[in-house]
Amino acid sequence: MAKWGMIIDLDKCVGCQACSLACKSENNVPHGSPHEWKRHQDLYWHKVIAVTEGEYPTVNTQIIPMPCMHCEHPPCVNVCPAKATYQRGDGIVMQNFRRCIGCRYCIIACPYGSRNFNFKDQADEEYDRPDLPPDLDLSYVGHIGPWPYPRRTRGVVEKCTYCFHRIDQALEKGVDIGSPDGVVPACVEACPAEARFFGDLDDPESEVSRLLATRNSFKLREEMSTHPKTIYLPR
Amino acid sequence: MSQLTPDSKNELQGKRSSNGSGMSRRAFLGISAAAAAALTAIVVIKRPKPDETLDKGTESAVETEQFIFTSCLNCPTRCAIKVRVVNGKAVRIFGNSNSPYSDGKTCPRSHVGLQVLYNPDRFTTTPLARVSGRAKGNGVDLENDFERISWDEAISRIAQKLGSISPEKLLMLQGLNTNSNEDLIRQFARAYGTTNLFHEESLEMAADVEGKRMADGRDNSGYELRSENASETSTKYILAFGASIVESEKPLARNIHLWGELRRGTPNGSKVVVIDPRYSVTAAKADQWIPINPGTEGAMAMAMANVIIGEDLIDHDFIDNWTTGFENFKTVATSYRFSPEEVAKITGVDAEVIRETAMDFARSRPSVAWSGESATSWAYGSYASHAIFCLNALVGSIDVPGGIVYQESPPYRPLPLDVTEGGISFRELADLVRNGSVEAALGFNSNLIMSVPSTKKWNDALKNLPYYVHIGPAMNEMAAYADIILPACTYLEEWGYESAIPGSGYAEARIKQPVVSPLYESSAIATILYDLATEMGSPVSDPFMAMGGSAVGFGEEFVRYRTETFVSWEDFRRDGVWVGEDYQYYKYDEIFHTPSDRFEFKSTHLERLLNVSLPGEDTQRPFMMGIYRPVMEMRSGVQNCPWAQEVFLVMDGIGWNNVVEMNREAAERMGIGDGDEVVVESEFGEIEAEARVRQGILPGAAAMATGQGRYASGRWADDIGVNPNEVIGIEYDEESGQPSYFSTRVKIRKA
Repeated sequence: MAKWGMIIDLDKCVGCQACSLACKSENNVPHGSPHEWKRHQDLYWHKVIAVTEGEYPTVNTQIIPMPCMHCEHPPCVNVCPAKATYQRGDGIVMQNFRRCIGCRYCIIACPYGSRNFNFKDQADEEYDRPDLPPDLDLSYVGHIGPWPYPRRTRGVVEKCTYCFHRIDQALEKGVDIGSPDGVVPACVEACPAEARFFGDLDDPESEVSRLLATRNSFKLREEMSTHPKTIYLPR
Repeated sequence: MSQLTPDSKNELQGKRSSNGSGMSRRAFLGISAAAAAALTAIVVIKRPKPDETLDKGTESAVETEQFIFTSCLNCPTRCAIKVRVVNGKAVRIFGNSNSPYSDGKTCPRSHVGLQVLYNPDRFTTTPLARVSGRAKGNGVDLENDFERISWDEAISRIAQKLGSISPEKLLMLQGLNTNSNEDLIRQFARAYGTTNLFHEESLEMAADVEGKRMADGRDNSGYELRSENASETSTKYILAFGASIVESEKPLARNIHLWGELRRGTPNGSKVVVIDPRYSVTAAKADQWIPINPGTEGAMAMAMANVIIGEDLIDHDFIDNWTTGFENFKTVATSYRFSPEEVAKITGVDAEVIRETAMDFARSRPSVAWSGESATSWAYGSYASHAIFCLNALVGSIDVPGGIVYQESPPYRPLPLDVTEGGISFRELADLVRNGSVEAALGFNSNLIMSVPSTKKWNDALKNLPYYVHIGPAMNEMAAYADIILPACTYLEEWGYESAIPGSGYAEARIKQPVVSPLYESSAIATILYDLATEMGSPVSDPFMAMGGSAVGFGEEFVRYRTETFVSWEDFRRDGVWVGEDYQYYKYDEIFHTPSDRFEFKSTHLERLLNVSLPGEDTQRPFMMGIYRPVMEMRSGVQNCPWAQEVFLVMDGIGWNNVVEMNREAAERMGIGDGDEVVVESEFGEIEAEARVRQGILPGAAAMATGQGRYASGRWADDIGVNPNEVIGIEYDEESGQPSYFSTRVKIRKA
């Protein structure tokens, strides 16, 4: 079975945040408000952060896009008392909203801040999107799993899924995953700088494996032995 | 509720000491129940029944699904997009892979289009007329101050008004409109007889364009960043003077895409150097950031010319054969006053850095010197733009692969009336409005009041406009001055065409087709103009009659009239774009439209670039205030979009706000800390905002993002941040009349 991973090239990335917005749009993630922003209650499955070091005039700001790291040893899965968060065979860390009891242990356990708690109903009906995610065509309504949700669930933890609905559908239809013309998660597809790559880390022929073999790379908080599968290429 | 009993505690401790991971299930559940109880005490959460969460119901069934090609209009780049429409509702926006301009990529703003279309604060009614006597400006209440009138009534009232005034008393304001609507607006103005057209884009780029026009007589030059695997033709060196090319410079999507290509797609990658008082996103991503005193970029460019000419690194072939005025330019540039050592005194950049940058620039060809807003929005901005543009000529980067190109336009069928004049400058606009020589004004998607400097003065001037008709999809600050509001539809609901803006060289036309039918009572601008023109009759209606005859389908007919000469309607709708022939380089005998048909080096005004006053010179107001345009400022003026607001400033991790950015050392001297409220005061006004203390800005400079500080734009935009233009002074660029946004001195104190 494939082991999905994502590579983000920080030399190409310009911090435009097309990834964050494509994610919101693709996954129907509720938007926030000034009030929620102040209380850190808004939801992001993907966020771009900036870390600044140095003193004027030798400043260095790293702009780092942050999807879920989809760790090989995910601490969130270990702590979940309800087995609501689990790792699929292909390595994607999932969240089952139906099982989630909203205890938020996983949020505390995650060293990357990749998880968010949904504090509200989808109140803003003008943006409510009662539909299937893109690329699920008309004939494909027998989809099983937590997606698609026509509505959001208040009181559960949400997280990035590497757009598993796209991957599953591509596997079913025999479409290539990760190649330039193939199926990729929404953030990878939307990146205008083509700084993101998605593919099978176990396949030595894949673009992601090629990049890892030819370039320097690093993982966030490697010392925690979480073994992230979202991997960065430095500038 | 279960409690953590002594038993379970012991059990837990015992387990922990023997085996770290082997916690017993009972102990664990005990703790989690207790913790869950503690949590529920703080946040009361009503959990839905399990069945509700998987309620796919009937509403999730896809009955119809379409992918419609159209083009974006959240910034002037106007990228080709593909919209997924499910059950008659637009749900997702993608790039259009048929468009080679940005290789089918779009910038983040394209996604926000959904929230522009389904903006909850759009006009939902038929046109609105101001109840006579009600106040204008801030505080207008749409419910009480306006009454609904029918479309027919509105059109006939406006036609009557326009018929009763002399044509030169009409002012037409253009915000960001589709190219097709811009053409129609110009046809209308021409047929009606007014030349008072003001395009709000000229607020930010008139000086830049003017400086280049002095050299080549054109206004469609662009920087063709280029990346080919054959590395000889890739842009090797980008020198950005105040240009945040991956944040605010057009064409953004193309710039970002090529950034990725240039950094990694070519064998050696290109070098990017950013010269800017502020550490922008581009500076953060570039190879080198050179902080420079505000307003001295032009002088820096001349010092670089000094080095390039002095070291004889110029392109002799190009300069000898295709330029005039070089000898005089050389005399000025190589004079003692422009030597790196002298210029270093005013720019604050080491002479050695200037020298090295100049030599690198001249040796790594093709290289481009890119002038941005903070280098050209000055009283002598045109000359700064000219000086920077001349660097490109010195190294022979004009009309070469990876250098400056001259954008071609699609071969549209000519319009009935020939329109050549480009409209009025900002200085002329200010004079017109202040002198009271405007009797009526039409604003098309205008948001003038948010983008002009010295907001207060303009507020008074706009209140005194005798008659203003606002045409736009949603309430905004400009609509608050309106006597009549016509609810127009957004770019996702109308027909139109767009042309690629300078950057690619080759022409590209993009279609705009409605992805949904106009919401509520709104109407397309093309239809509004057609109705107005026919109501007024000949000669105003003549050009409209010549291009299409029916009121219902005029928008579509007009697009077909203009484009069917070069692309079949079916192909255009199916592909979304039409792409012209490959760009031909080295066309020196035809690209220069100057009197001499050569590239003209101007030297008469360049010495003025040295007449700058530095930040610390005024001890009362020691900071130079600058503005910048972040990616998430929707350039269409519709900021009522939560997706854009919540990730507004990526460098500072700030959403739903804008902040006064200042240097840490300077702030600490005044006892200002990160997040403190500060008052920014200039002689034109004062604003209160949150301070952002950072390392990445020149100590004598302060910067603020535009786009916020709205009060009539809707629930997700109002009362968020402040508008920095309120403290910006009125000073004009000498040549182009563009406001000088960066020359205002301010005092900053703790609130």
